[in-house]
Amino acid sequence: MVVADNLVKSFPIAGGQKRAVDGLSFRVARGEIFGLLGPNGAGKTTTLRMLSGMILPTSGSARLAGYDVATQPFEVKRVLGFLTANTGLYLRLTPRELLQYFAELHGMDRPSARRRAEHLVDWLDMREFADIRCGSLSTGQRQRVNIGRVLVADPPVLVMDEPTLGLDVISNRLILDFIRRAGDEGKTILLSTHYLDEAEMLCDRIGFLHHGRLIAEGTLEELQQRTGLSRLSAIFLNLAAEGAESAAPAGAVS
Amino acid sequence: MTFRRRVRTIYGKELVDLLRDRRTLIAMIVVPIFLYPVLMLGSLQAITVQTQALGQRAIIVAGLGGADGPQAESLAHLQHEYDRIRALEPPAPRAENDLAAPTESAPSGGAAADADQTSAAPPLQLSWAPCGSVEEIEQRVRDRSAHVGLVFEEALTLSPDRRNLVRILYDREEPRSATAHARLEDVIARVAARINDERREALRLPPTYFDPFEVTATNLASPSSILGQILPLILVLMTITGAIYPAIDITAGERERGTLETILACPVPVIDLIVGKFLVVTTIAILGAALNLGSVCATVYFGGFNELIATAGQGIPYGQLALILLCLVPFAVLMSAIMMAVCSYARTFKEAQNYVTPVILAVLIPGGFAALPATELRGMMLVVPVGNMVLLTRELLIGAPVGTSELLTVLLSTTLYASAAVAVAAQVFGKESVVFADVESLRSTFDRRLIQPSPRPSLTMALVVTAVLFPAWFFLQSWMQSTRGAEDGIGALRRTFAAMPVMFVAAPALVAAYWKVNLRGAFCLGGASVGAWAGALLLGTSSWIVARELVVLQHNWFGMSDLAADSAAALERLLRDLSSVELVVMLGLIPAVCEEALFRGFLLGAMRSGVRKMTAIAVSAAVFAVFHFILAKLPVTFLLGALLGWVCWTTRSILPGVLIHFLHNSILTLSAAHREWFSFLPQPQEGAQDHLPAVVIVPAIALFTAGCVLIGRSAAKTAGGGAD
Ligand SMILES: Nc1ncnc2c1ncn2[C@@H]1O[C@H](COP(=O)(O)OP(=O)(O)OP(=O)(O)O)[C@@H](O)[C@H]1O
Ligand SMILES: [Mg+2]
Repeated sequence: MVVADNLVKSFPIAGGQKRAVDGLSFRVARGEIFGLLGPNGAGKTTTLRMLSGMILPTSGSARLAGYDVATQPFEVKRVLGFLTANTGLYLRLTPRELLQYFAELHGMDRPSARRRAEHLVDWLDMREFADIRCGSLSTGQRQRVNIGRVLVADPPVLVMDEPTLGLDVISNRLILDFIRRAGDEGKTILLSTHYLDEAEMLCDRIGFLHHGRLIAEGTLEELQQRTGLSRLSAIFLNLAAEGAESAAPAGAVS
Repeated sequence: MTFRRRVRTIYGKELVDLLRDRRTLIAMIVVPIFLYPVLMLGSLQAITVQTQALGQRAIIVAGLGGADGPQAESLAHLQHEYDRIRALEPPAPRAENDLAAPTESAPSGGAAADADQTSAAPPLQLSWAPCGSVEEIEQRVRDRSAHVGLVFEEALTLSPDRRNLVRILYDREEPRSATAHARLEDVIARVAARINDERREALRLPPTYFDPFEVTATNLASPSSILGQILPLILVLMTITGAIYPAIDITAGERERGTLETILACPVPVIDLIVGKFLVVTTIAILGAALNLGSVCATVYFGGFNELIATAGQGIPYGQLALILLCLVPFAVLMSAIMMAVCSYARTFKEAQNYVTPVILAVLIPGGFAALPATELRGMMLVVPVGNMVLLTRELLIGAPVGTSELLTVLLSTTLYASAAVAVAAQVFGKESVVFADVESLRSTFDRRLIQPSPRPSLTMALVVTAVLFPAWFFLQSWMQSTRGAEDGIGALRRTFAAMPVMFVAAPALVAAYWKVNLRGAFCLGGASVGAWAGALLLGTSSWIVARELVVLQHNWFGMSDLAADSAAALERLLRDLSSVELVVMLGLIPAVCEEALFRGFLLGAMRSGVRKMTAIAVSAAVFAVFHFILAKLPVTFLLGALLGWVCWTTRSILPGVLIHFLHNSILTLSAAHREWFSFLPQPQEGAQDHLPAVVIVPAIALFTAGCVLIGRSAAKTAGGGAD
């Protein structure tokens, strides 16, 4: 469902180029939940943005649901729901209006967009606040609106960049439940996170990103076997230290 | 989903979003509707009260000697005469508001300064400031401890064999002094008129004896009305301020609130987004301007300030208001685009506000200059951004005649600037490094080390370069024309064509080189096939006849203005004084190379990616035509531009176009300068302004068509059918 092949993204900086993502290749099968882990600046956000057709890869290619992210970004965006913890809502719109707007942006005509928004309001239990402007909603309610927005076109693939970063316990729970439910429904999910327990709990497979390179990849068991450690946090630290030795030059300024 | 539908969806949402914001509403509706009338009523009342007060207050007159000296005595004599006249007059019929003078009826608004003598004489209060010398009088007027200085050469005597010499010293820049001076002059004039009447009556002479003339002059121009001066600037400023807040909210605000990433994850092209947003900003700017206009009119109308504001009692030219709003549309587009481009760089609301400030200042300079009463809508001011709009609005508002070509120049130049600004806004907004600005973004546009080489200039670069070149070229031409004497026409012509390579080729080349654009690509300097060259040769030798016939047709249908005929004749005379080599180089070669490089190579080439063929050719041809400034030449230049654009687009090179352009220009100028060389061709029957005979036209059209076919064929061959 998601195929990244030797993805590279460099950003121009004074005095040269910085490779934020450096030859990244991996696959995510249909219905799988894949977690991208890595320290700050490892290139997770950059990777997810490339896979969502939001920024162009410098070289290499990637496909999402069969569409090339560089040449068919609109097709890619059509089959994808994108969520981050700091995704903002239009605070001066009501949830109902907002959902309808995004439905229309996804190509629905006005009546079907309205029906879709209605459906999501019911389904996500937003009836009581569906006509209050988002600016007056609580964080938990806003997260529900956000989930509704992601599901507006019922996309088969979800891309989430640190979806629970900085959320309180209740909103956190809401998002995790949503991810688990989406996974059960057979959606393909690509998520990045700093919270190792979340990754342990949710992900079918995990990839470790370090300085823009994938230094390890596999199921939790495979990673445990490889490192001889049981806790993901320990594995993480071990791999990060290893990566710092082997892959350091790649991420440096070239 | 189509482009139109997406844009409409975005437009609708953004408009609702913005109009729900308190800050937009306050800026757009509350400010004009409340603050404005209040401000205006307040300041107008202040002016009225002040003028009344000025007329009422005692005038301090500095003069030689003490209050009982001969000079003060003379003044007292004058005042006595004046009071006598006032006593003779019938009481003023008008009921005035007795604001400052409880005992007497007050003069109306500005009457004190320039009352004509048929109106009632206002009361006069004087107080004497004794001085020792004329120098002291001057000093007292200068340091404003006296309003005027007054010196009688001799004591005032009103006998028929004496003329009284009176000197008044005043400071024109000081309103009270100027008013006092006017009052004294008025007093003296009234006394003199009265004495004249009395003497005439004593001699039993008819009233016509001393007044063989009675002149009434009516001033038909009314440009000095306060309304005419201030309103255009206010309108233009309000259109700008109207654009600021929405532009910030919709760009930097969106990023700050984290919704930009969300929207970019949707299947919506950035261009649709920016178009939708930009239309909203423009809408709000125009709405704001309309509300302001309406509010001013309502204030003037309901406040009864009609006479005070507009001269000649005309009031507001309501009919022109719609036209003004219409003209403000391209201007609102321009300002919205500039604001959006600037604000797109900002990550936060605050940052955006900082970026906007210098832009406003930059806009105020030409706007303020244009608002000066002496500035006129002609010459360079026609193409000065913002300034030209202020002036156009003023002319329309005061009902001055605005020529079609002036109107078109203002509108077309504004449109050109606007499209460049829109392109910049679109590019900035869609730029990865700006949208996902985790690092400093403004730098990445200008820091050469961060720039990636590219094979072709971007549309934005091309539009901005053209938009800057346009006024520059215009300035240069008007400057050269204004400095040249009639005999130095050739010199001006030479300078113009010497400047052309610098402006049309060197300037864009420098810009392209800075942004690491491949120069061959920037000017479409690729080779062309033999077929293309042959086609170009045919087109070049025949197009001048086609163009000439089109001009004749145009003249037959629409007539030829005297101006156009004169300038054509003047040019023809000029051309005869040049050697034919110079003619060919200056009017054939240089424009052919330079104009092809700029309009076809740089501009059209930049449009190759992302703009449809027909649109691209039409746009480049329109810009090409507008650069020629002369209205009468517009249609034919446009068609020539379209032909050359098509040739360049088809052959993917400007070189065949250069050949066509060179032949076209050279033959046309040679035929004008040396008519005798072309005597082998059958001549038109009636003169230069008539059609050529069919024996010339038909083969020319045949050659022309053959040329087009050859060029079209060559494209099919080189591109393997994939050209279009
Ligand atoms: N637009 C940009 N311009 C320049 N450099 C960038 C840009 N975006 C990201 N980078 C750099 O690329 C590297 C990878 O960034 P990225 O945001 O992908 O990391 P991340 O793994 O998501 O980190 P975090 O855990 O902090 O979110 C960083 O060093 C960052 O500074
Ligand atoms: Mg990140």
